[in-house]
Amino acid sequence: MKAYTQLYELLSDALLRFSYSLVKSNEIAEEIVSDVFIKLWQIRNKLLEIDNLKVYLYTIAKNFSLNYIAQNNKYKVVSLESIDVEAIITVGGPVEMCISADLVRQIRQVIRQLPSQCKLIFQLVKEDGLKYKEVAAILDISPLTVRNQLVIAIRKIGETLPTYLQPGILLAGKFSES
Amino acid sequence: MQEDQFWLLVSLKLTGEATDEELAALEAHLLEYPEKGLQLEALQVLWKGRPPEAPYRKGESLKRHLQRLSVHTAEPAPPPVHPRLWPATAVNHKATGNKAIRHKVWGIAAVAASLMAVLLFFYLLTSKKTEQPVAQNTVTTKPGSKSKVQLPDGSQVWLNADSRLTYDESFRGPYREVKLCGEAYFDIAKDSHHPFIIHTSPIDIKVLGTSFNVRSYRNEQNTETVLIHGSIEVSLRSNPEKKVILRPNEKLRVENGKSLVVTGAPPPNGKDAREPVMILGKPHFLQKDSAVTEVLWVKNKLAFDQETLQDVALKIERWYGVKVNILDESLKQTAYSGVFEDERLDQVMEALRLTGNFRYSMNKNEITITR
Repeated sequence: MKAYTQLYELLSDALLRFSYSLVKSNEIAEEIVSDVFIKLWQIRNKLLEIDNLKVYLYTIAKNFSLNYIAQNNKYKVVSLESIDVEAIITVGGPVEMCISADLVRQIRQVIRQLPSQCKLIFQLVKEDGLKYKEVAAILDISPLTVRNQLVIAIRKIGETLPTYLQPGILLAGKFSES
Repeated sequence: MQEDQFWLLVSLKLTGEATDEELAALEAHLLEYPEKGLQLEALQVLWKGRPPEAPYRKGESLKRHLQRLSVHTAEPAPPPVHPRLWPATAVNHKATGNKAIRHKVWGIAAVAASLMAVLLFFYLLTSKKTEQPVAQNTVTTKPGSKSKVQLPDGSQVWLNADSRLTYDESFRGPYREVKLCGEAYFDIAKDSHHPFIIHTSPIDIKVLGTSFNVRSYRNEQNTETVLIHGSIEVSLRSNPEKKVILRPNEKLRVENGKSLVVTGAPPPNGKDAREPVMILGKPHFLQKDSAVTEVLWVKNKLAFDQETLQDVALKIERWYGVKVNILDESLKQTAYSGVFEDERLDQVMEALRLTGNFRYSMNKNEITITR
């Protein structure tokens, strides 16, 4: 039971974020994560047969989230591509990133405008620190797709960043790039 | 180097998936275009940004989860849900109940579940208390009268005089239970899934399907059980661990109001204080028709078998609904045997008087025996 609660504490935040991105409700996401761990409890005798528990839990969370969306949607079949993903991606404040507040807003805007799958992949890799292969297994796509989607996301963000440092920003962070 | 290639190398570096060659290629590229180094640095800072820790919220969600889990761990084993498990559901409902539709459904389920738990709890409570006046059937016989009862399961019970049989009106549940005070002959309908249990003040008798006689009058010293067919299990109420399995034509005698148990003791003759409380013996057979004396009353025969005048008087009191007073102490211990069939009280008394050499007077419903 101790191992179980430790696992919950270790993974619940990431799974919550993942599920939230799909269902876009904190309460429902928490319930889905809870369901995921109940499922884990029910299959506790078969855990040794699972290669990567983290991937396994993400996959259950994905399926539960999609089931939930399907139940609350007139379209019965729901695929990851068709749903709007709301990614939770941490972008530091202007001062720590040595960029202007306006630029931070721009970056956030760029991330929001990424395609759904791209956003989700970016979140899973950046925020949860998952490997390409793991993300590929969870989302049932090829590792190459994961790699390519990440390149798209990082490039879009990177190109909004300045190629030169503005002297004033480092000191006050108040000046905008104009 | 193309832009595409550069961004691929950047993303590989950030995610930690880059090989040594790829990292070297990126270094070389940055030497060529130093202005891109700033973008990479900013991206690295952005990439490392982590959400602030929220330990409080985490603990709360864990607590909520464990509450839900406790409900689910109880689920696989359906009916015997311990009522104490349910308040957790109720709390869960309170915490998250008024949010989304799913939560409402969950909440309704929780309410329904706790309601069921409460009902189950009360059901268990009432089914244990056989004294509950509600939904209880009671058959009582007065002194001087007998009765035959057919129970809802088809079992037949002959109730001797001055006896009371109480049973649940519906007669459902895992056990068929009756409570007996007095004497009754049972012919139990066979139903191995619903054992029949007879509660008397000193013993409980568990049967599957059989016929036997139970005699447990408050004003008598012993409770007697005589088995005719089948098999019954008798346990002491004061010590349910002590069980005796009776075989056909065995008789068990238990002293009322004592808790000492000894089995396999010698036949019941002596009546000294060290006499064991549970005595296994043989019922008495009449030589003529091999009927068991103990159950002759069912055939409307009043039988005595080596019984003292004191016991005989008690039987007569019940059988005819009269009061018998024995004024001379020395007469009380004389033993009598005999069977009376359809005979009036004065005939019985006359026969006893001739055998026992005593005198008696009858005044309405009161008999006085003197020397």
